[in-house]
Amino acid sequence: MTDMTVNAPAGSAPSARMPLTRRLRFGRSASGVGDAGWGRTIGATIVSLIYFFPVFWIILTAFKTYEDALAVPAKFFFTPTLENFAQVFSRAYSAGGPVQNTGFALYFFNSLFISGVSVLLALAIGTLAAFGFSRYPLKGNDTYLFMILTTRMLPAIVVIIPIFIMFRVTGLAGTYLGIIALYTVFNLPFAIWMMKSFFDELSPDVEDAARIDGSSDVRVFFKICLPQVLAGLAATAVFGLILTWNEFLFALLLSGVETRTVPVAMSQTIGGDIGVRWGLLAAIETLFLIPVIVVTFALQSQLLRGVTFGTIKR
Amino acid sequence: MTTTTDIPQTAPLLQRLIALRWDNWQGALIVFVIGTALAIASLPPQVSFWASSATAALFAVTLIANAWGKYVGGLLVTPALALLFLMNVFPLLWSFGLSFFSYKANRAHAPTWVGLENYAKVLSDPDVWDRLHNTIILVIMTVSLQMVVGFLLALLFSKQFPLRRYLLILVLTPMMLSFVAVGAFFRYYYDPTFGLLSQAVRIFTGRPFILMNTVWGSRIGIVFADAWMWSPFVMLLVLAGLVSVPKYLYEAAAIDRVSGWRQFWSITFPYIRGLMLLALLFRTIEAFKLFDLVFLLTNGGPGTATETIALRVYRIAFENNKTSESTALAYILLFTVIVLTNLYLYFANRRAKEVPAS
Amino acid sequence: MSTIELRGVTKHFGGFTAVKNVNLAVSAGEVVCLLGPSGCGKTTTLRIIAGLERASAGDVVIAGKRMNDLRPDQRDIAMVFQFYALYPALTVRDNIMFPLHVEGLDAQTNAERVARVARMLQLEPVLDRLPNHISEGEKQRVAVARAVVRDPNCFLFDEPLSRLDVELRQTMRGQIKSVLTGLSKATVIVTHDQLEALTMADRIAIMRDGVIEQIASPHEVFARPTTLFVASFIGTPQMNLLTAQFDGVEGTHGRFTVDGQPIRLAVDPAVKRLAKGQVTIGIRPRAFIPEGAGSADTIAGRAELIEPMGAETLIHARTPLGSDLRVVVPREIKVKSGDALSLRTDARETHVFDGSGKAVRT
Repeated sequence: MTDMTVNAPAGSAPSARMPLTRRLRFGRSASGVGDAGWGRTIGATIVSLIYFFPVFWIILTAFKTYEDALAVPAKFFFTPTLENFAQVFSRAYSAGGPVQNTGFALYFFNSLFISGVSVLLALAIGTLAAFGFSRYPLKGNDTYLFMILTTRMLPAIVVIIPIFIMFRVTGLAGTYLGIIALYTVFNLPFAIWMMKSFFDELSPDVEDAARIDGSSDVRVFFKICLPQVLAGLAATAVFGLILTWNEFLFALLLSGVETRTVPVAMSQTIGGDIGVRWGLLAAIETLFLIPVIVVTFALQSQLLRGVTFGTIKR
Repeated sequence: MTTTTDIPQTAPLLQRLIALRWDNWQGALIVFVIGTALAIASLPPQVSFWASSATAALFAVTLIANAWGKYVGGLLVTPALALLFLMNVFPLLWSFGLSFFSYKANRAHAPTWVGLENYAKVLSDPDVWDRLHNTIILVIMTVSLQMVVGFLLALLFSKQFPLRRYLLILVLTPMMLSFVAVGAFFRYYYDPTFGLLSQAVRIFTGRPFILMNTVWGSRIGIVFADAWMWSPFVMLLVLAGLVSVPKYLYEAAAIDRVSGWRQFWSITFPYIRGLMLLALLFRTIEAFKLFDLVFLLTNGGPGTATETIALRVYRIAFENNKTSESTALAYILLFTVIVLTNLYLYFANRRAKEVPAS
Repeated sequence: MSTIELRGVTKHFGGFTAVKNVNLAVSAGEVVCLLGPSGCGKTTTLRIIAGLERASAGDVVIAGKRMNDLRPDQRDIAMVFQFYALYPALTVRDNIMFPLHVEGLDAQTNAERVARVARMLQLEPVLDRLPNHISEGEKQRVAVARAVVRDPNCFLFDEPLSRLDVELRQTMRGQIKSVLTGLSKATVIVTHDQLEALTMADRIAIMRDGVIEQIASPHEVFARPTTLFVASFIGTPQMNLLTAQFDGVEGTHGRFTVDGQPIRLAVDPAVKRLAKGQVTIGIRPRAFIPEGAGSADTIAGRAELIEPMGAETLIHARTPLGSDLRVVVPREIKVKSGDALSLRTDARETHVFDGSGKAVRT
């Protein structure tokens, strides 16, 4: 990979006199993403829509009444209703019974809070650790890193029982602290591997220059290293978020009534009520999907770069 | 206890180990291992847990003392390692120890030593081999499908075109759904009466289509849902490889009048080979651990046709309460995964050394 | 016949015109260099010949056939890229052989051709290595080998030596030149290094802002530049350029006011027809002849910095009103810092450029 400077076009470097469009074209045309026209757009749109269809159907179902959802033949056109969304937060648990607060507002908050905090913690602790592994290699570095990688491969089943017992014994079961600590540990291996490969990529010259200019190690880390690895942070955050957001097994066994997350609550909704209230379930999932999509879309450009770096340079 | 001078490395090993110093982490490690073993054997779980934790905490303290000042790297790394140790390694070792005992979580008595009996019981249980068989079939089916679909999707998105950004998000959404939703809704899609699949088939055959009541039907149902969810992951990895090929290589190939097929094999493939292997590795490991989707979609059914090993472990542990047996089985699963992983890594590294393209 | 012809070729990128109405004819066996600074359009022109860019207007004719609508693989051309573009997964041997697959020859012939080319470029020791295990110079030779193993209509080189160190460049310049002379194909080389152009080209086309300012032999371009830009671009150290007021001609000498000083300099007869007004006078550093102090018809200056360059000495001088002068003299002529200089030139070495930058010359 030594003679490939992907950003330099074959020929001359883009001069400042050149209009921006040309410079962008130079930069872009030197890498692998060539241009294709509207033909590909049409093809890709068809494929994407087909692939997206099951998700689309879920969102559509969220707006249907119970009868419409079960209609045969399936209804593409119907009168939409927002009733399901309202019922997410308060409804009658039995026919004719009183309308109660379902507590879903709490569950959504729990999911947000637990996922958010654990991802941030994993990023913080993991990035520091990655920086340590990268810049100050210890003797057992490779062993540590391999161990960290293998922990990611653990089937949840193997650790679930002792952790379950551990939580019960220490009283962590059902607390925020317990589940957040656990999720942080879930995200740590990925965060460490990802951020370490990013840190390995940075040229030490800039840091040395800053140190000579008198910056302390802390300043070097925050002002110089960190801004360059944003893509890694973004990718780690997104994948970590997706992982903890949708996590089911551990949440099922380890969260209490107060700290229940949405996936667990969702599974209870399936079991509890009269049949499965598909519209309701769809509404829950649609609402639940929105934060993830928003975060992924916002970090999209960084995400692809992050996936590249995190995996090619192993 | 002192920290002012290092223990001279020339001192005899035993003397080093038992030196009463804050940074004698080797000694603390020995205390931890022995202490934990003794505690598990002689104390009820609740108490042995605390005893073991105390020795673990001592170990952690000595590590930190060892690292302070001497190794900045050590300091940075300690919180992560400590957390991982606490939540992963420690429970792992503890449950490993537990697998040699007979213990049931819902009984109050202390565990009794049974040696390898649990493992023997598990390995000779024909049900276990049957579940393993199920798991392997599912793994092969879903991983193959994911690799193919993911690869094709990556090809589709490998060039810049209008709307690419938005279409990419559409394709990534299946990954973002919660297992509960996917499990429930695919059950809905597969339902013979009002499911979309049955309705579509009914247009052609006039009769409702029941997918999930046959062994192979339910397997296909699970595989389809799982592959649908995770093909985008494979796509991302392969796409990253495709995008990294320098454009001038294709230009040179065009000028060299090289056919498209040969271009793909000689230029593109070496770049994506490493990533595809990685995708294969990750997805296989995840597939072996298949639990959530199966639990929600079929609950192991019909009968036990789709019960995976992970599901079985769960059943033994929480429904039959044979806690230590389940840990034995879980460990067998773990070792299988580790062996597979190491095999993959070995071959992947060998290939990586041969072809320096990526 | 292996020829290249560009007739009125223009290329727009959106609102920006990279190549403006370029006319170029390269005959069989001729080497033409496209020389110019970054952004002048030389690489774009090369890529248009290769078919990697489509001309917005004009004709691209290779070997007598109009090729505007043909893809690169249909044009039967060979190109050496700036970054070599070696296929990283193939050995050197396979890299060189790659373009031969489409010709459908048997393995024996292919192997012979590869061996011959490898011998010509001294690549025999590395034939079985991968591109990232060979040196920069070897990579360059493999790229050339891959082009030369074919029998294409023409050769295109994009900054072939830009990534080599100085010593290697010298060796490769000679080697490429000798390889090219053997095969009588039209060749176009793009470079920003004038030394490369001067040594390798039969003709040099100097480009600026998408336009060819002059296309002529190296000697012609050096001795008789047609524009100010060409004059200042070619030649090291750079030609001295002095703004002056032209005030008519007296016999063989023109009357100028340089730096406020009236001066008479021997000039080309065509200068008689130039209107009075502002001009630029160009004199190469080696064209100056230092004379005794106070001689007539000379440019006065004071030496400031003396740079011995071995066989020659570079003198940085300054005119009374502050203009910089670079003078190169043989080492026998001793000049000290602070010395007063009177510098004479002859008519052929005194280039006069009118207000629009065009040379005034017969």
